[in-house]
Amino acid sequence: MIERPAPVVRTITQAQIDAYADAAGDHNPIHIDPAFAATTPFAGTIAHGMLVLALIGEVMFASLGERWLTSGKLKVRFKAPTRPGDTVTASAELVKRSGGMAEFAVQCATAAGEVVIEGRATVADA
Amino acid sequence: MTSPLPQSVSSFPRGHEFPPATFSISAERVSAYLRAVGDEGAYGVSVPPLAAVALGLGALQERISLPEGSLHTGQEADHIGLARQGEQLTLTARIAQRSERQGFVISVIEFEIAAGAGTAVRARTTIMAPAASA
Repeated sequence: MIERPAPVVRTITQAQIDAYADAAGDHNPIHIDPAFAATTPFAGTIAHGMLVLALIGEVMFASLGERWLTSGKLKVRFKAPTRPGDTVTASAELVKRSGGMAEFAVQCATAAGEVVIEGRATVADA
Repeated sequence: MTSPLPQSVSSFPRGHEFPPATFSISAERVSAYLRAVGDEGAYGVSVPPLAAVALGLGALQERISLPEGSLHTGQEADHIGLARQGEQLTLTARIAQRSERQGFVISVIEFEIAAGAGTAVRARTTIMAPAASA
């Protein structure tokens, strides 16, 4: 079992957020309307949590392949917003193997070191 | 999915069950999703589980509206089996938990997406919404 899957590093753009809103059917103005978002406590648009979470899915699938698709489990908290222009690193680290399952600590963090998503991923052990 | 106008997530009581809905996720939608998230993985004809969850949440927004000030604070997803692109999927959902704290209603939406071969994904989505919107 790989202990540290290769991280994914990506800069989130407003164009990407707009494309995700169309793809997922989630057009909440906090994500796509800068004028509206400027009036909220976030003072600007923020990425969909599921968009950023997809980076963790990408990390896990790249390392574990179909095993991730058929036995993976994710449990995360969205701790802080991700804004357009933020460069996010999604990473995973093996923390436990027991009962036929491997458990990873997963997170997404900005270049400034702010953890925006944190949680656990488990998958059937090899 | 056709349904009445969506209601605020915070207006649904614990235990509320939404009528099952059928939908499908075409290859084009999967491609659009993967382009949007920047994932170049080779998923073949499968629907990536988080794509199924994201698009399932999108389908649920025909029933559930998220009022201004709502926050998606937590997500769980259990990948049970593979859903194939283009196949008919059935979405069932219920309000698994509801509580109020400091002016917010915290709702946990539990949903399952089943494909021809059985359950593909089970998910739990936690939403905090302003209580005044209930």
